[in-house]
Amino acid sequence: MQRTVTVASRVGLHARPAAVFVKAASAATLPVTIAKEGKEPVSARSILAVLGLDVRGGEDVVLEAEGDGAEDVLERLAELLTEDLEG
Amino acid sequence: MRIEPLSVVAPVTGRAIALAEVPDAVFAQHMVGPGAAIDPVRAPGLVVSPVSGILVKLKPHAFVVTTEDGRGVLVHLGIDTVNLDGGGFVLLAEEGGVVPAGAPVIRWNPAAVEAAGLSPVCPVIALDADRAAAAALAGSVALGAVCAGDRLFTWA
Repeated sequence: MQRTVTVASRVGLHARPAAVFVKAASAATLPVTIAKEGKEPVSARSILAVLGLDVRGGEDVVLEAEGDGAEDVLERLAELLTEDLEG
Repeated sequence: MRIEPLSVVAPVTGRAIALAEVPDAVFAQHMVGPGAAIDPVRAPGLVVSPVSGILVKLKPHAFVVTTEDGRGVLVHLGIDTVNLDGGGFVLLAEEGGVVPAGAPVIRWNPAAVEAAGLSPVCPVIALDADRAAAAALAGSVALGAVCAGDRLFTWA
């Protein structure tokens, strides 16, 4: 199951917003991947991988998870990305 | 495969402090990862690579170097410095390039960051370190005066 989200944080997923996102993904009951559109997905539980994506504010990312509860997990993470995590 | 302990060196000259003292909750609570921070000397200076590896991400105010065995170290130059949009930072290396530990990556002026109303404190973070590594790392931090290139902590 996939979910495309526009990253709200003005500065993108840099150190602090990325850390908040990775912490939430690590706490999720299912493994989740994150990708820039059309690019290779990486583990949403790796801060190194997420920083490596270099997602800018206003860019779209694709979250993906499979299994029971995937919809809820993706919903929660998508919500997080649509908040300005710098705030 | 046994991973060798990694000496992470100070990227800037100043005073090494515990992450808990960083004036930013996300860094102070180790949410980005374990590590240490340096309160830099308030004078123009060089920022050097904390480890030998590939400069996988290079921004004016922050960079990530990954070692041959895949460990990533983040250096963040000051707090909220992304808002300076690169002003006052001079890049001396290229993203994607190989950098030895201690090699210059950026030139900056912590005094100018402070004059802009921001903290110039520099978190140095072990990315994706597991709990055991984080605990060992915390005990290895060389607190106090450090010169750029001196050992800051060990990532076992």
